[in-house]
Amino acid sequence: MIPSYYPELDETCYRQVLENGLTVAVVKRKGFTKKLAYFITDYGAIHTDFTFEGREYHAPAGMAHYLEHKLFDMPGGRDVSAEFAAMGAMTNAFTSYDLTAYYFSCTENFHECLKLLLEFVSTPYFTEESVEKERGIIDQEIGMNQDAPDSVIFENLMVSMFEKHPIRIPILGTSQTIREITAQTLHICHRAFYTPGNMLLCVVGDVEPEEVTALARQMLGSEKKEVGKKQPLPQESMTTAEKETCRIMEVAMPMFNLAFKCEPLGLGDEAIRREMVADLAAEALFGESSELYLRLYEEGLIDSSFGGGFETIDGCAMLMCSGDSDMPEHVRTAILEQAERIAAEGIEEAAFLRMKRSALGRRIRQLDSFDGTCFRVCAYHFSGFDYFRFPEVYRSIEKEEIRKFIADIVTADRSCLSVIRPVEEK
Amino acid sequence: MIQTFSLFPGITLRCCRDTRFKQGCLSFQLVRPMCLEESAMNALLPSVLLRGTRQHGDLRAITNRLDELYGASVSAVVRRIGDYQTTGLYCGFMDDRFALPGDRVLQPMLDFLGELLLESPLENGGFPTAFVESEKKNLIATIESELNDKRAYAMGRLLRTMCREDTFGLPRLGDKEQVAVIDPVFLYDHYQHILRESPIEIFYVGSEEGEQVASLLKPLLSRLDRDYRSLKPQTAFHSCEGSDLTETMEISQGKLCMGFVTPITNRTPEFPAMQMLNTIFGSGMTSKLFMNIREKLSLCYSIGSGYYGSKGIVTVSAGIDFDKEELTRQEMLRQLKDCQDGHISEDELTAARQAILSSLRSTHDSPGSIEGYYATAALSGMKMTPAEYMAAVEAVTKEQVVAAANSLQLHTTYFLKGGSQ
Repeated sequence: MIPSYYPELDETCYRQVLENGLTVAVVKRKGFTKKLAYFITDYGAIHTDFTFEGREYHAPAGMAHYLEHKLFDMPGGRDVSAEFAAMGAMTNAFTSYDLTAYYFSCTENFHECLKLLLEFVSTPYFTEESVEKERGIIDQEIGMNQDAPDSVIFENLMVSMFEKHPIRIPILGTSQTIREITAQTLHICHRAFYTPGNMLLCVVGDVEPEEVTALARQMLGSEKKEVGKKQPLPQESMTTAEKETCRIMEVAMPMFNLAFKCEPLGLGDEAIRREMVADLAAEALFGESSELYLRLYEEGLIDSSFGGGFETIDGCAMLMCSGDSDMPEHVRTAILEQAERIAAEGIEEAAFLRMKRSALGRRIRQLDSFDGTCFRVCAYHFSGFDYFRFPEVYRSIEKEEIRKFIADIVTADRSCLSVIRPVEEK
Repeated sequence: MIQTFSLFPGITLRCCRDTRFKQGCLSFQLVRPMCLEESAMNALLPSVLLRGTRQHGDLRAITNRLDELYGASVSAVVRRIGDYQTTGLYCGFMDDRFALPGDRVLQPMLDFLGELLLESPLENGGFPTAFVESEKKNLIATIESELNDKRAYAMGRLLRTMCREDTFGLPRLGDKEQVAVIDPVFLYDHYQHILRESPIEIFYVGSEEGEQVASLLKPLLSRLDRDYRSLKPQTAFHSCEGSDLTETMEISQGKLCMGFVTPITNRTPEFPAMQMLNTIFGSGMTSKLFMNIREKLSLCYSIGSGYYGSKGIVTVSAGIDFDKEELTRQEMLRQLKDCQDGHISEDELTAARQAILSSLRSTHDSPGSIEGYYATAALSGMKMTPAEYMAAVEAVTKEQVVAAANSLQLHTTYFLKGGSQ
């Protein structure tokens, strides 16, 4: 494997694409006890429409997540979690809109754990009975989310903001859609998207990179298999379908999500640069060091729960902020006005340099987190970018790019406000 | 290795020198007895300190200063540790080696910490009214927002009910009513009082030598006018009559919580056995609760137990359909009964042991977890280092786990269900 050393970050990363198409990345952390491995597929909740083996498929919503749950089943009544636990390892998984990740962390028995991870994720074993039993559990998970205002407010925002993009549908699907999921449909999705060519194995810890690739070869074979071809995601107009949505729930005080629709990012260096520009734009517009944040905070329109940034998901992107506020509409007005001001006046040089230094410092600090680093290496890999190159991207960004981003994106046309109000306000 | 320095009476600096990390952290905590009279003020204090100093007069000036320090952060710390409440600030900052040539982070960071702690702007002998009033509003919002997370809300209701006679029943951030009446002058006086009297715990993790950190902190600490009073030691659960409580709310999923008590605390020798029991019973994806109530019976998605070692309380909670309350309750008790009857397999024992050992082994792999362990363990009365704790866990036998299970007594049950109030 070929190591790359990043002197500015004091990081070493080994990367290789195996014959079977699997990308392996090892972030070497000398002297650490913990070892973390992510086995991740470029397939998530929004990828319901695809062609595979010459056929077209339209899977029910909630498929990727259901599959994630069911992959923990193994033939012969084996219990994957128990096997990890016996080795002192902790395993789990999550499904996002555009990827599904399986991971474990351990301090000992790394090889056996890695072997087990590769084995269980690539071994589909579903019976109609076990698929049926899972429905009750996932139904409870859906119920839990329906009572969680953070999920509801975001899901409402997506429905109002987008007209066609599958981000409109919750990751878990609904109680209705998950009824359509069967052992057979799970098998098809697994065959289509859990092939090495669609996946990434990323390890962080004091491990031997060559041993990781050797194990991956041994467990996954060398054959390159067909990968399901995802249907292109629908093109969205940059004007939001609805500007506002509101729901009443058992919450303490009104909460809001405010977002501005952005053009999808695409892949590679340009996309990442735009993402970092967007992050800095969020900072300049409503970050804690911005004039607006101070004003809204002092006026009591926002509190310390306020925050925001840039969100990017396959086929869509948005600049977003959220928090608690008695007057979310006022927050929206203030943000739009401030955006106009920045668009007209630009950003002060000293403030811009300070923001860049701060953003860079925070990203360096985040590297101490094994989970954060592993996740970012994976997510950026699927965007066609080597995450550890972020310092050079930051350095090359100019303040005019930030101004232009705010001028183009933060407009009433592109905005949508999702609010949840407490029950007694009815 | 942790180096401990007693810098002034009642002021302890603990340092963990580690050059592997890209960031360092330092926590500064005043340790108070948890009590209704001051918990709200202690919770409010750090947020007021973070609003401005004489040199950096508002939030924006403070953030700009932190931005210059390579995106350093300073946040409020308000912890409940058994009978104690801590209040203070937590700094996270990039390691000096990543700074521009000749630039430093740790030293200016500590200077700035001193400024935040000791150079608040004053108004009529108190904190500025605008800072205090707006942070009171924020704190009340934070307290109220517990309602947003139904599981945490239900657990809070359970603990308040079963700990009526114990400090553990007091809310960590105080009561809304208590917050509402805080006055800027009174708050400032209280701050001066606790700066003078309280034990102060400072914890540092990073690449600098302990002696050097101590000398960087000396100027700050020598400005304090101290009259140190030690605190009463931690106590076990103060009992009261148990109850069985149901409340309703407009929700789609019910939350069932049960609270058990045990004389075993983190200050008694049976502690590691109780940790093992808790793991086998309800912690993680191989526990009896998870395997049976979720995986076998499909009654829930989220389920788990927790052990509050400083008090000797074990709680269980699950998110279920409203009509499954009785069934889930019986099943929870049945799983505990299984533990009490010794139905614990060798595999379950190994899994629990390995899970605890693994988590202790990786304590030293992040600045946050190092701080989290040492800055709370000593205060809670837990005397073991991670290495000693691991040795004790290695030695736990099945009989000891069963004995720990048999020490548990059901005290209170709480069910949050749907419907109008």
